[in-house]
Amino acid sequence: MLGKGGKRKFDEHEDGLEGKIVSPSDGPSKVSYTLQRQTIFNISLMKLYNHRPLTEPSLQKTVLINNMLRRIQEELKQEGSLRPVFPASSQPADSLSDSYREAPAPLSHPASPSAHPCDLGSTTPLEACLTPASLLEDDDDTFCTSPAMPPAAPARVSPPALPPEKDSFSSALDEIEELCPTSTSTEATTVAATDSPKGDSSESSLQKPEGLQEGRPDDSKLMDSLPGNFEITTSTGFLTDLTLDDILFADIDTSMYDFDPCTSTSGTASKMAPVSADDLLKTLAPYSSQPVAPSQPFKMDLTELDHIMEVLVGS
Amino acid sequence: MNCSDESTYGNKADIISTVEFNHTGELLATGDKGGRVVIFQREQESKNQVHRRGEYNVYSTFQSHEPEFDYLKSLEIEEKINKIRWLPQQNAAYFLLSTNDKTVKLWKVSERDKRPEGYNLKDEEGRLRDPATITTLRVPVLRPMDLMVEATPRRVFANAHTYHINSISVNSDYETYMSADDLRINLWNFEITNQSFNIVDIKPANMEELTEVITAAEFHPHHCNTFVYSSSKGTIRLCDMRASALCDRHTKFFEEPEDPSNRSFFSEIISSISDVKFSHSGRYIMTRDYLTVKVWDLNMENRPIETYQVHDYLRSKLCSLYENDCIFDKFECVWNGSDSVIMTGSYNNFFRMFDRNTKRDVTLEASRENSKPRAILKPRKVCVGGKRRKDEISVDSLDFSKKILHTAWHPSENIIAVAATNNLYIFQDKVN
Repeated sequence: MLGKGGKRKFDEHEDGLEGKIVSPSDGPSKVSYTLQRQTIFNISLMKLYNHRPLTEPSLQKTVLINNMLRRIQEELKQEGSLRPVFPASSQPADSLSDSYREAPAPLSHPASPSAHPCDLGSTTPLEACLTPASLLEDDDDTFCTSPAMPPAAPARVSPPALPPEKDSFSSALDEIEELCPTSTSTEATTVAATDSPKGDSSESSLQKPEGLQEGRPDDSKLMDSLPGNFEITTSTGFLTDLTLDDILFADIDTSMYDFDPCTSTSGTASKMAPVSADDLLKTLAPYSSQPVAPSQPFKMDLTELDHIMEVLVGS
Repeated sequence: MNCSDESTYGNKADIISTVEFNHTGELLATGDKGGRVVIFQREQESKNQVHRRGEYNVYSTFQSHEPEFDYLKSLEIEEKINKIRWLPQQNAAYFLLSTNDKTVKLWKVSERDKRPEGYNLKDEEGRLRDPATITTLRVPVLRPMDLMVEATPRRVFANAHTYHINSISVNSDYETYMSADDLRINLWNFEITNQSFNIVDIKPANMEELTEVITAAEFHPHHCNTFVYSSSKGTIRLCDMRASALCDRHTKFFEEPEDPSNRSFFSEIISSISDVKFSHSGRYIMTRDYLTVKVWDLNMENRPIETYQVHDYLRSKLCSLYENDCIFDKFECVWNGSDSVIMTGSYNNFFRMFDRNTKRDVTLEASRENSKPRAILKPRKVCVGGKRRKDEISVDSLDFSKKILHTAWHPSENIIAVAATNNLYIFQDKVN
């Protein structure tokens, strides 16, 4: 399991991370506060995405983790709006969190933690302390070894990486959007008619196509300035969508898709070949004519792809 | 921080998930992860063996809930018994409510110590007799037999909860009870299984806006119109069912202002209330959050009247406890019969008692190595500083897989039941 191997390592640095309550305004301890916050953010995401229970996950736990993530995102957003230019000393920590949130928006929701393994691989001073992330880095090496990810420029990782994959992935998104009609009312009636006990899940699944569409127009804005625009609202939306969907469609493990954007551009794509966007398109095509809730076929394919990914990655 | 896997020593299905004495204390029920209920009965104290106080022996065992499969969501519904609540005894039989995540059941537990003999149409083994061979008629008589305790499901209250049931509470009118899940509370009549009233609904129209869930609920012990429910944000709401059919608007709102000096990333999570209990008097409520137990006066909403630190030494470990999910453990708390002592569990099989009058507290351990029958429990101490005394245990050696989440206190005597993973410990106050 993902956190257990590195537990000891994490404990060693525990006191440094959580010994005292650090306020964001302290100068020298600002980095450790940011570090702690980032670690908690990572842990929270892992909890939401890597959980694959046989039974329904606890709503209370999910809500609390979700609140934690939202709070951290709010904080980051506020900090971002206060300081448009980052001082060089704190750049690694901040750009880490910046690019963390920038990358998700243009891609489909499973990619919201996607940028982070790539980015963390390039911030060497921090990786030693972030055990959950460092574990991901071990996998990350095999996926993100392409020259498109220069370690020296962590801040610039996401934008150059994004445009090439954007094409293949965005075309996949186009296909998905065709399946998901924009009018939520039609979806609501069809879904509500078929399964009333599942009213909650249909509500959440309605959010997804909306979220996907919201993400697209923001691509161009994100490409422009690095520290500037944080489309927090979008990524928050994704996050919420995903977490609630994860409660309800818990058999889908989207953690494997974290690596998709990295791999489709890298030379080590051979390992991930079966999960190319083309395959996604092919498998989605037969479902386009069905009057089923659009998230359903998407999820069923994710399960299959998920299974393939598992076999390849050997987890 | 150690996490030895105690559950591997025994069957996972044997993990006790709830403990409850009945109203007289004669019976003690436990529910486990495998959906079973085991009821213990206290031995009648005999005049011959005065020194041998009434011990609890197994009275009845039955399978209350079975695992189910929700085909719509493709998820299992656990058979784990979340709560058991007894009904007050009204005749020779005993009644209790047991619930898993989705279904509440009313069980009747009754004794049979006589059986009819001398049927006309059946012989002693129950085989039908040939009517041609019957020449005389006789009246069957009841003859004593070995005591048999049978449990039968009398009512099944199903399909009323979309989310996981966390609490059930019998009303003081003995005609109704409530069941609470993460977002809704339903009121049932014992006689009606196909309908329930929804009395609290905190589900937002847009699930994206959900930030708070219901964590526990209980009826007032004397006022059948009053109940409380706690939330994941550390608040308690008291509702009056006479005010309106849907009690979304509370009558009283209990919340302690946050202590700014203790603020951390985990402030919200550790403020989530895992259990709420009215005192026997009905004047106070006790709440358990991750690090403390608080006693509130119903007449004062702005802060608790008493706060007890259960294991404050964990405050500096919250990040690790968040990572290994221990921060989400739901500890219960109980009052003693006179509301003078409160008890709750902790890690390393420790449990804590707080005397509200003397302000003294004690930490005890429920473990086989440390408790021989009739041995006196030795107080334990967790050392937080650098120097560890001989008998103390350091925070880093605590076993976080050995957690005491469920405890119960006899309604009138100083007898406590403590569930430590798959083991049940019953401790009594030593006489003379």
